[in-house]
Amino acid sequence: MATTAPAEAGTVTAPARPRRASAQGWISRWLPALPLLVVIGGLLLAPALLLVVQSFVGTNGLTLDLWTRVLSSELNQQAILTSVVLGVACATIATIVGAPMAWLISRMFAKSRAGWLALLNVAANFGGIGLAFAYIAVLGTQGMITLGLQGLGIGFVPPRPSSFIGLLAAYSYTNIPLFVLLTIPAMGILRSEWWEAAQTASATRWQFWRMIGIPVLSPFIAGGWLLIFTWSIGIYGIAYGLAGGGGAAAISLITLQIGNILGTDVFGAGRAAVLAVLLMAMATASLIVYRWLLRRALRWL
Amino acid sequence: MTTARVAPAPIARPRERRIGTRLFFLVAAIYFILPLVAVLIFTFAGRWTANILPDSYTLDWWKQAIGNPELVGSFSTSIVLATGTAILDILFVVPAAYWARVRNRRLRPIIELGAAIPFCLPYIVIAFGILQLSGIVVPGLQGTFLLLMLGHTAIAFPFVYWAVDAAMSAAGVERLSEAAEACGATPFQIVRRVIVPNITPGLVTGSILAFATSFGEFAMAQVVGRGLRTVPIWSAEALRSYISAPGTFNQLAVITFITFALLFVLSAIIVYWNRNQTLRLLPGAAAVAETERG
Repeated sequence: MATTAPAEAGTVTAPARPRRASAQGWISRWLPALPLLVVIGGLLLAPALLLVVQSFVGTNGLTLDLWTRVLSSELNQQAILTSVVLGVACATIATIVGAPMAWLISRMFAKSRAGWLALLNVAANFGGIGLAFAYIAVLGTQGMITLGLQGLGIGFVPPRPSSFIGLLAAYSYTNIPLFVLLTIPAMGILRSEWWEAAQTASATRWQFWRMIGIPVLSPFIAGGWLLIFTWSIGIYGIAYGLAGGGGAAAISLITLQIGNILGTDVFGAGRAAVLAVLLMAMATASLIVYRWLLRRALRWL
Repeated sequence: MTTARVAPAPIARPRERRIGTRLFFLVAAIYFILPLVAVLIFTFAGRWTANILPDSYTLDWWKQAIGNPELVGSFSTSIVLATGTAILDILFVVPAAYWARVRNRRLRPIIELGAAIPFCLPYIVIAFGILQLSGIVVPGLQGTFLLLMLGHTAIAFPFVYWAVDAAMSAAGVERLSEAAEACGATPFQIVRRVIVPNITPGLVTGSILAFATSFGEFAMAQVVGRGLRTVPIWSAEALRSYISAPGTFNQLAVITFITFALLFVLSAIIVYWNRNQTLRLLPGAAAVAETERG
């Protein structure tokens, strides 16, 4: 199993050129990358920073006014709590189902492995409004399974699409495949030699997993959990399709709140900015932990 | 030394023997395939009231969908948008990734940082930021196709960058580039004649990922492209009106299924082009490994 890393290490890189103070030197070093840097700066970095600024600006200068207003609103508190709980639930389900699945698929024969990877790849990419529709087609009041079970005489009442369980089921459809696809490569790290060595030392299968397998894989699995959590709290399309504009009965999420404010409230930009910055802060924190986990994980390579 | 060595058992027992494993995969297969089947059946369903399968079948929904100018319009909008996004991303990313490898090592951490933004920030947050910033800087661009395409280019660029950069690493562009330079080629010639032909799998994968990202993207289309009707926007409206206009609901099944089929073909192309792919760890792992090495 080769990573891309050894290939890079083996190549001869161009020696760093001496710095030239001239404008020409600057241009020759940066120009080809300039369009991309402009995209990154103008469409990713600057908009994000602007939201941070806007969340702290009131009519008379810098203020925490917007923050206190947003965070004291019961609806927003509910939205934040639901988003976090939903994210944790999604990530945990994806890990519990996805980790064994990734392990088993990584040990399959090439042909069935390719089949599963193709199916998971499609499911992982089948998100947004299309997935919301598919959910209703399967588990809506006129959905296939609903009608099928009722046709059999079973009094089946499907979870409402806009309920917590409904969102969890729909999110999991893309989250589990994502988790599997993210962690399958890591499964290759567990070398057969280690299992052989463990057996030579007359370790049981359980001991092998407890002392070697799980400790080696855990940073990758934790990393996968964290990514699914981060992505789940940021999902908008599926949630909008299933619960958007559903009135007071609908579930409230941070992303739905942002979309709702933007769609209906001309003067709500500041409050939406606070919610957006809140999401940003959570995502940034996750990313920092994620990088730290990766660093630990890579010790075994 | 005459004791026969027993071959060690594989870490996982052959899965065929385990009934639990088979059941697990059976349930998983049903869970993943059922929604797709349900959508397909909905495209052909006539009356459907009381059973797991419809009472009758019809081709009406396909005919209606193809004859619906709004639906066809949104489909072509999405195709143009996604194609434009993929082209822009390739044009922006390839020179930058190449330059980061051969000329300016300091570019790399900057691009990686930029790639982390759409990777971890929700699209609706980025979309909202772009909406606010464009309101201040370029109000004329608000709600335009161009701004939406640029926004999609920004959120899809990490996928293109990672695919292209991995292909460049595999092709050893540093050495190729040195050799070409020794032959007197200009940087432009090197990229066109030497680099691009050697990173085709990365270009194919990257542009398909950008296309797919843009095609299914909803949050930015709603927030930045106000009034523009892409497939997800049309679908969301149809989804909301499924009680008042049930016919649209079956047309929605048609477009969902077409989108899914498109996605499936694109995935197959990616799998085909990357069949000799080396191990790729969690996103960002290569970058972390690199910084670790210093």
